Order: sequence, then structure tokens, then C-alpha cells
Amino acid sequence: MTSLEIPQRTLTLTETGPARRGTRPDEVVIAVSPAFGGTFTQTIVGVPHAEVLRQLMAGIEEQGVGVRIVRVWATADLAAISHAAARLSGSGISVGLLSRGTTMIHQKDLARLSNLELFPQSPLLDADVFRAIGSNAAQYAKGESPQPVPTRNDQMARPRWQAKAALLHLKEFECIRDGAGPVELEATIERVAG
Amino acid sequence: MTAVQPRNATGSRQSLRTEVLEERPVNLDGFVEEWPEKGLVAMESDFDPQPSVRVEDGRVVEMDGRERADFDFMDSFIADHALDVATTEASVALPSGQIARMLSDPGVSRSDVLAVTRGLTPAKVLDVVKLMNVVEIMQAMQKMRARRTPANQAHSTSARDNPLQVAVDAAEGALRGFAELETTLGVVRYAPLVAIALQVGGQVGRGGVLTQCALEEATELDLGMRGITAYAETISIYGTESVFVDGDDTPWSKTFLASAYASRGIKMRFTSGTGSEVQMGNAEGRSMLYLEIRCILMAKGAGVQGLQNGSISCIGVPGAVPGGIRAVAAENLVASMMDLECASGNDQSFSHSAMRRTARMLPQLLPGTDFVCSGYSAVPNQDNMFAGSNFDTDDYDDWNTIQRDLQVDGGLRHVREPEILAVRTKAARALQALFAQLDLPAITDAEVEAATYANSSNDYPFRDVLADLTGAQAVMDRGITGLDLVRGLEAAGFHDVAENLLSVLRQRVSGDLLQTSAILTADFVPLSAINDANDYAGPGTGYRLEGERWEQLKQLRHVTSATNPETEVR
Amino acid sequence: MSGGDRLVVGVDIGNSTTEACLAVLAADGDVRWLGTALTRTTGVKGTPASTEGALTAVRRALADGGRRAEELDVVLLNEATPVISGLAMETITETVITESTMIGHDPATPGGVGLGVGVTVSVADLGEHPGDEPAVVVVPRGWDFDDVAAALNAAVARGVPVVAAVLAGDDAVLVSNRLTQQMPVVDEVSAVEKVPLGMRAAVEVAGPGRTIRTLSNTYGIATVFDLDPDQTRQVSPVARALTGNRSAVVVRTPAGDVTDRRIPVGVLELRGAGRTVTVDVDAGAEAIMAALARVQPLEDAHGEPGTHVGGMLAAVRDTMADTLGGADPGDIAIRDVLAVDTFVPAEVRGGLAGEIALENAVGLAAMVRTSRSRMQAVADRVAESLTTATEIGGVEGEMAALGALTTPGVQAPVVVVDLGGGSTDAALLTADGTSTAVHVAGAGELVTKLIDAELALEDREVAELVKRWPLAKVESFFHVRHEDGTVQFFDEPLPAHVFARVVVLTAEGPVPIGTRHGLDHVRRVRREAKRRVFVVNTLRALRQVAPGGELRRLDFVVLLGGSALDFEIPDQIADALAGHGVVCGTGNVLGDQGPRNAVATGLVAAFAGGAG
Repeated sequence: MTSLEIPQRTLTLTETGPARRGTRPDEVVIAVSPAFGGTFTQTIVGVPHAEVLRQLMAGIEEQGVGVRIVRVWATADLAAISHAAARLSGSGISVGLLSRGTTMIHQKDLARLSNLELFPQSPLLDADVFRAIGSNAAQYAKGESPQPVPTRNDQMARPRWQAKAALLHLKEFECIRDGAGPVELEATIERVAG
Repeated sequence: MTAVQPRNATGSRQSLRTEVLEERPVNLDGFVEEWPEKGLVAMESDFDPQPSVRVEDGRVVEMDGRERADFDFMDSFIADHALDVATTEASVALPSGQIARMLSDPGVSRSDVLAVTRGLTPAKVLDVVKLMNVVEIMQAMQKMRARRTPANQAHSTSARDNPLQVAVDAAEGALRGFAELETTLGVVRYAPLVAIALQVGGQVGRGGVLTQCALEEATELDLGMRGITAYAETISIYGTESVFVDGDDTPWSKTFLASAYASRGIKMRFTSGTGSEVQMGNAEGRSMLYLEIRCILMAKGAGVQGLQNGSISCIGVPGAVPGGIRAVAAENLVASMMDLECASGNDQSFSHSAMRRTARMLPQLLPGTDFVCSGYSAVPNQDNMFAGSNFDTDDYDDWNTIQRDLQVDGGLRHVREPEILAVRTKAARALQALFAQLDLPAITDAEVEAATYANSSNDYPFRDVLADLTGAQAVMDRGITGLDLVRGLEAAGFHDVAENLLSVLRQRVSGDLLQTSAILTADFVPLSAINDANDYAGPGTGYRLEGERWEQLKQLRHVTSATNPETEVR
Repeated sequence: MSGGDRLVVGVDIGNSTTEACLAVLAADGDVRWLGTALTRTTGVKGTPASTEGALTAVRRALADGGRRAEELDVVLLNEATPVISGLAMETITETVITESTMIGHDPATPGGVGLGVGVTVSVADLGEHPGDEPAVVVVPRGWDFDDVAAALNAAVARGVPVVAAVLAGDDAVLVSNRLTQQMPVVDEVSAVEKVPLGMRAAVEVAGPGRTIRTLSNTYGIATVFDLDPDQTRQVSPVARALTGNRSAVVVRTPAGDVTDRRIPVGVLELRGAGRTVTVDVDAGAEAIMAALARVQPLEDAHGEPGTHVGGMLAAVRDTMADTLGGADPGDIAIRDVLAVDTFVPAEVRGGLAGEIALENAVGLAAMVRTSRSRMQAVADRVAESLTTATEIGGVEGEMAALGALTTPGVQAPVVVVDLGGGSTDAALLTADGTSTAVHVAGAGELVTKLIDAELALEDREVAELVKRWPLAKVESFFHVRHEDGTVQFFDEPLPAHVFARVVVLTAEGPVPIGTRHGLDHVRRVRREAKRRVFVVNTLRALRQVAPGGELRRLDFVVLLGGSALDFEIPDQIADALAGHGVVCGTGNVLGDQGPRNAVATGLVAAFAGGAG
């Protein structure tokens, strides 16, 4: 765990056009859900979306792999988001993200409901875990065999977070744009002065 | 560890009392505001339909404000299979207040209530129970419960899927009083060994205990048909068409599965609960209780004898909204007023607060239900592979004390250490011998010794997982059945255990366990709504905790002797 | 059944499996084979507890042959040679880094390229660092990569010659990508706070696919730090330790050093041939085996009390004493020892980044045997249960050889080699029917242990899988590359948990191996472990039974036992024997049992021969 405080950063996601299929074999596509970095700005436990994306991208960059970000508008189903992104990814590897923090690593040849690694307990995901997820996704893209990021479990997450997760899920649903295709995003992460 | 946000983000000064209160476990629980438009509401919603029904030519053509042409498949199934067409128009026409009073009035018999409720539409049922407060719900439950004698059910699982742990904790659980035992797996391939262990341990603890193993549906059915398990429960149903469809299922496919169990004389019940639809984002704008009532009627229409409900694995959702636990009590009541066996939840980790955990189960414990918990953890929660229960082995003495304080029967009793050690050793020995007979991976004497005195899976020597999984596969490949278990136990000299298991298996020929709310007594007499019908009719009637059973429940771990106050009652 | 025919079953109670073979013996000595069975041995071989397994095997063989227990005339049991083996593994070297003099963990993704030499400075103190001294910046945990890059860039802008960085986190590429001026960056130094500050240090990073050139060269380090010949001699181990790395850090401290220390692990005392020889276990396998050769035949062995070797030999002796029903452990003699040199990856003491060094280790297998047996007790119980005459038919090795003779194409003289779990056993049966048997320590279990240790799996079950099944790399969901380089495609996608992993291809499908090593390394370790145990032991055993100890005087060698079913061990042994003109292969008892059931079959054959 870092002992230093995470400085405030802002995340700006700018749409640059319809998402296209990548051709570079050394890229990972990160796909975010409809409300990510817009309606919502942090995960269920308050990790800022700016930090989530920054750490995922850092994990990928550290492995020397490129990254593209897309937003999937038409669904808030994590498997569907992740699988759509995997099919856009030049390496076939994607990371899908819901606003509340639930994350999945996917691969284009897998069945939609399957995955390479799934992190279902969103309350337990912190900056270090997002970095590790990015790193693993990039290693898969390079054809390496990373050890899966250890998943955490907490039986008492249910009484604390189950209802809030449902609420966030409903809100995310409201942001769905039926029939809209995935779009390419440009992420700008800036430190808040002071 | 759950990550905790600082609650006081402003940094302003806080009172010392607030600091104390902030530290209370209850504040680790999550609570949310209602959002009725999306179904995030317990039972009072303007978006639920109004009751109505119209019958033409012996067919329901309108139900709860919807014409048949607009029915979704849940509506069709309920209209065609659950509602009593002959009485539905008259029943729905009765004022809801009158029906609610019939429910809570001891002067109205259970069968008189059933004559009305079997014609009620989902919205009408909701309209009735919305009028009832928690005490009235409990009063109604006391009468409407199908079986006169209340009972309890346990989880026996192992974090390492160690069959030996499952067997000895099943034996101890059965001895303490659970009538049904349920297991499931971390590593699914372990299932055959663990299911065998549960069956053997259960029959050592108390002959006639019924066991089941929660798995994906095909394997669960296979184990049931082989007679390795005695009943099935985890057949999930949902209150909206979209959630059903997401799971590649329909009411008809679930009904077909139910008939497969019935064809072999195997007891089974469905599972449902408030909150599951909104949790998946497909509540279609209905309240949690309204959707659960649809599930209950669907179960009724499918012809199964019972239902496990009480929110179950979604308890965090109703638990977080106002009146949610009242709705959970109401859903149990609705199952009972549809004449179904009700295994009433209290089976998932619910709260950080011990006080809240207790309050949540009183509406089931006090009136009594067919199974107060549909999964009291008979292993420490760290070993509970159903993700933790509302009560576990640490709570045994508390539970027994509450039964004694309030003079209610929650299905358990205090058992003295020597008896417990004896059945644990015997269960371990029986499983050891059976595995040897069946050529399954050996259980060592050191493991038996550890099992006798163990608390959690950490207290057992590691097993050779690879050999176990090969053995588990062999059970399936070799077509081992319940009769092979009987034969092996007999050959190994565990005649009484073999006899117990054979007696349980014999029930599927008689079919007695297909009756509503059936359990087996220690004398292998089926106790069901047929021969042990609930006859509550006010004070002094119905099931009373008295006589020999009450003497049993007066025992606790430490009770000072009145004869010699320097000693404790043994 | 015609008059004079007898129904006979041979039963072989082995260490792990119990096998049975059912046959009808005609009055004229003709043998008609009816059925066989295989089950798990119950209890320890040869003890009363093993009766249960024997009975199960008999019943199954009867079922297989379509006969009933009442029809049985004779049950034949093997005279089990009680052989018990024990294993121990002792690490005999230890690498120690003193004064944090080097960092050589070789992180997967270092940053920048080149060599930087300067003085170590904490990133927190970089602001006050004088502008004239080259700085090697040390960054503790908790520093964000953006902040590190900003701090380094600011110092460079101030004119401080920042020449390299050493980071705690996995941030080297991230930091490098944000620097205005390139420099070598080494990361994932978990104990970075122990790097001495204010010392001269050198950091070197090579490009992708290359290895460092300066810090892995003794004279390179001497040049960098301006060392005199004495000092140069001292840093030589540092350079050796860094060879093959892509990145490294060397810090010049007053007495910093890397040492390769021998750990005394006890003395082994070998008695035989009228003398006693002692050998230090840390002298290695070769020395131990040489000492053993000088005292052949071994009469007993002792380990120094209080050492692991002493403990291991005592444990073997105690188990045997228990098995024999309360014999005095002092009366039980260790009759063979096999020592194997191995390498065990171990964390370096004094390392800053969890450096792993391959330490030397010795694997030891020891074996006890005694002529006393309790097989009679087992025979009595079998006779009682089946109400059938039960005899102890013959010693294992001889019976195995007789059984092996039912393999098509084999004739006496023949040597059978039983590749078991604890010991490797050989028996010679000459044309005139005399037989000699030997047992040598070390077999399948030692192979598993070597694989487990050398791959640092710390999981015996995974090691067992690696031993038993061929490897492959899952390259996509639809194809794997086998260890021989061939590619296999699949129509159905492979399970998600094996994607991109090195797997063993078991009968139940691919199982991933949790290792950082590539397929080639795992394969090499597996094959070497098998060679060092089974090939070495087969040759040792054959030399002991071969006339005059000469292998070329043997004709037929038949491999039996569980490991004879292995996919490569028989080939490895056949290759090793090829040069000696020996016919060697895996047995096929009765023409259809493979290397199984030889002893049980031999028991029946011997009985038929004796009766005929």
C-alpha cells in the first residue's frame, strides 16, 4: 500500500469517433461502461476513475505495450463490454471496466460469458490491483504467462456493499444508449493544482 | 478486509459519542435510499400493479390489470397453473383487509384461509400482506406454516472441500438437531466425495437426516438419482421474464426439472428471494416483494412441495432499504399461505451487528417455520462455501440460550461434549472404512484423530487433492449409488449406519418425502403436512414446546444446579 | 471343470497396488489364463492391514474370469521383500550478500539503456544534492511514477548530473518514458531502503534481449570503481553472480562482498566390506557414491545424530521397525544409498530485491531391507476369509522374472528391472532357473522430489503431474505447441485458465503449471531428474546382477513396474543400454497386461511348474 496520499486528478474523456479495430499486435484495449468518468467519477469505494484508468494504463505501459480506450454505450454488462473491446483489440486482449470498479480481462476467441481474469468484488479493488490488472493484460498481449492477479474475498462485503452495487448498476443502466456503437476515447488526466 | 472510506470528510470536530457510534459494527453495514421506479424498494411501491382478475370460459383472461394478450410468460404460467380458476374471482373480490384479518385471526382455520389464498393473484397477495405489520405476519406464520413441528437446516461445507470435515460436522449437526443438511463445493469436481461424506456423517449423527449437495442442475440431479443425496433445493427461479431468459430458463424448464426429481421419489424445493431481480438490474420497475410473490406462485404452479425463500443470497439488498426485513418476513409467510413448505432463509452473512443478525431471524424463530434457517452454518463461517451464513458454529450456545429464554423451538439443542466427540469419531471412522471399501483415497488415523477434535478446516492434515479428485471422478465413472454406500458400510461393520441410509433410500419407493414439508424422525417416520398438519388455533393449541423436548432445551453448557449450587447440571 | 483341473490365483501385494492373476491349471501342467485385477494396496505392504486389498484383488480377478470364490483351489501370495525407502534433500551451499553490495534480481522490465556511475542519493534529498557530483537516485516505496520523473527532470534541469535510478516499485519503464534525459533505471527492488546512501554505485541496463557487459566483468567493475588488484580479486564473485542479467546495480562499500558458503549438513557413515568410511554430505553426490563403491556391499549406514541426514536415516529405520511389528530399530540395516546432485533455487541472504541463487543440494534416497516378513499372517487371514488353501509362493524378484517370461519374444536368461516408487529392483533368472535379486535405493518418488525442488514448485502434486505427462505451451485458445515443437489445433476452445500457460497434457485435459520457467527449462529438469535416478539406478542394479558385473553379458532386459509405463523413462534406459548390446524394452505380461501383473502371473507359473 502506498503511504502517500493520492493527489487529486481530473479525468477528461473526449470522444474522437467510432471505435475501430486495431491492427497493432502490441495493444490492449480498455473499455469503459456508459457512466464511467462521466455520470460517475469514482468506484463503489471511492477510488477516483482518474486513478483507476491511470493505474491500468501505467500497468500496460510498464510492459511496453500500447493502449487504446473505448466506451461501450449499448450495454452495461461487463462481459459484453469486455468482449466487444477484445474484438477491437489488435492483440485480442482487453480490459473491461464498470463504473463501480468491477473489472475483467477478456480475449477475443473466448465465449462472451467466459474471461481470462475476473475481479467481481468491486469493493476490494484498489489502485495497486488496477495496476496489476493492467500489467497482466499487457503480458497476455505479449504472449507471456503472468500469474493471475490474486482475487480477494470478503464474506462481509454483502451486508455492506450489495445494495449500493445494485443502485450503481441501475444508474449505469440509465446511461445506456441503445443501438449506439462503441466510440474511441482520448483520456486526459491532469493533476489538480495545489 | 473491506475498504472503508473516511466518513467525516470535512474534517470538522466530532463529538466523542459520535466517534463511539461510528465504531459500532452496524455502521459497517450498507444502507440505501429507495428508488421505486427501478424496483429498489421493499414492498410499498406506486409502480406495482393493482389487483384484478377476470375469468372467461374457465380461463384467466385478465390478471392484475393486464390482458392475456399482454401476459409475459410468468403471467401465463401463474394464470394457467397457479390460480384456482373456480375461486379466483370471488377471492380477489374480498376486501384485502378481510383476508389479512383471516390470516392473523386464530379463530379462522388454516384450511379456511387456504380456500381463499389459492385464488389470489400476485398483486392481491401483495395488497393483503402490505396491511400486516411484523407481529401480525408472525401471528399468521404461526398458523400457516405447513408442518406442525418446526425444524432447522444446516450447511456443512469445507474451505478445503475436505470430505472428512464435511462428514464429522454433518454428524455433529445432525446430533444437535438439524433435520436437513446441505453442502456445496469450492472445487466442483470434489462433489461426489463430499456428497458421500455428508450422507454418511448425517446418518451417523442421527438416522433419518436428509442431505443435499448444491451444484449445477445436471450433476445435482445425477447425485440425487443415484441416491447419494436425499433431496434438492438449489433450483433457482426469478420474478421477471428477463432474468429467467438471461439464465436460459423458463418456468416450464424448471417444472420439467422438478418432475424429474418427483419421478424418482426425491424431495425437492425451488429457491427464490427478494432482491435478486433488482440486483441484476431487471426488476421491470416492480417492488422486490411483488416479484417474489410471482416466484412463489410460479413454484405453486409447478407443483413442487416447497420453496426456499427469504431473500437468500441477495439479503444485502432488502437489508439496505426501509422495511426490507419486514418484506422478507412477508415473503416467507406468502410461501406458507400458498401451502408450500417454507425453508425461510437466515442462511447468508447478513450484518456486522450481532443485534441486527438476531433481530433479522426473530420473525422466523418466534412463530416457527418449516426450516427456520435454510442453512445455519454447522461449520465456522470461514469454511462456509455458501459465502457465510447468518449463524455459524460460534453461535450454537447463543441460539440454544435464546430458545430457552423465550421457550421457542428453533430445532437445535445443547449436546454434551462426550456425545459430540463420540459421533464425530464414529462418522470419521465410518467414512474411513467406506472409502477403503470403495477403493477411494485413504483417510488416515491421524486425520480421524484430528477430525474428532477439530473446529475448522485448518485443524485437519492436508489431503492429497489430486488423489481425491481422481477418486471423485471414479465415483461417477464406476456408477456408484446409494446402495453401494449401504453395502460398503455394512461390509465395514457399520451396520447401524448402513441401516439408517437404507431406510432413507427406501423412502423414495414409498414417495412419502414428496408430501409437503416432509422430514424424517429418528424412527424414520415421515413428518409432513399430511400426518403432522399444523393445527394452530390460538393459545394452548398447535405445536407447544413442552414435555421431553422442553426438558432437552433447558440444558445449556453451564447451568448451576439447584440441588447442589456448587456444581453444574450435567 | 474336468477332474484334476485346479483354479489358482496369484496375488502380488506391492507398495501401492495389489495385483491378482487367475488361471486354471490342467493336470498336464497346461495353464489357461482367465483374468486379472488391480487394486490399491491397503495399509503397508506385507502387514495384516494389506489383507483387505488382497481379498479385493482376488474377488475382482474372479469376477473378471467369471468364477466364484468357492471354486478356488489355491491362493498364492508373493514373499514380499520388505523394502522401505526414505528421502531427504539437503542444501549444501548458501549465497550471502554483505553490506548490500549488489542488486541482481533481473526485473522483467527495467528502463533506459547504458551504464551510470555516481553516488547514491535518496530522491527525497535530491533537491539539496550538489550540482557537481553524479547522482544515482534511490526511490523508496510509495513514490508515484509521475512524481519520480518530475523530481529527476527537475534535478537535471538544475544541472545535477543524474546518471541512474533504482526504484522500489515496478515503474522503470513508466519513469523512463517521462524523463527528459535517458538513463538506466532498475526497478522492483523491494528492500530499496537498505541501499546504503552516499556510496559510489554503478547501475547498468542492457537493451531488450541483451545482457550487461560491464558489471558482469570483474575488470569492468575494477575499471568503474578504480580498484587495486586485491580489491579486484574480492569483487570477482559479484561479477560472476551478475552474469546473464539484463540489469544490475553494484554498490562500492568498505567490506561488501558476495560469498558462496558451504553449509555443513552432517557426516554419513557407511559400513561394509569389512570397513567403515565416513563422508561429508556437503562433499556432494559424487563423493558419496565413490565412498559407497568402496564399501560395497553396504551393510549399514548411519547419519550424524542431530543432522538432517541422521534424522532421515533414523526415520527410515523406525518405519521399518513399526512395519515389522516392533522390531528393534537398532537391528535394521540400511542396505543402499543413492545420492544425487541437484540445484535448489533459494532466496539470497542479504539480497535487496529477493534475488534467487541456484544453490547446490544433495538428494539422498536410502533403503532398508530385511528377510523377516509377516506375509504368513496375511496368508492366514486370506485363507480364513476365503476358506481356501493359501500359500506363500515365492520371492518377488524371481516371480517377476517368471511373469516377464510371458512377454512375447523373451526367453531366459532374463533380467527384470522393476521401476517402482521407492526402490529400483532387478532380478536375473538364468536358463537353468536360478535367480539373483538386488534392490537399490531411489525411484519414482525421488524423481518427483527433484522436480519439485529444482522448479521450486513447493507442490508435490504438481511435480507428480510434471513427471507423468508431456508438456505443451498454450499459444491460443485453438492451438498448443507440444514440447517436441509440433502444433496441435482444436475445434473447441481450450479452457480460459490455461490460456498462455505452460501445461501438462493429462488424460483429463491440460493442467497449468505455476512456474515462471519456460517449457524448455521444465522439460530439461524433468528429463534430467529421470535420467539421474532411473538410468543411473538401472545401470547400478544391472551391474550387480550381471555375470562378472559386465552388462554386455546380459541378453534380455525387461522393464516392469509403474514407471515402465512412463512415456520416456523406458526410452532413456534403452538408449543407455544400447551401447552394451542388450535387448531392452517394456514388458508385456501375458501379451496384454503391459508391465503390470508380472509377479502375480509368475506366482501361478511357478506353481504350475512345480506341480507339473
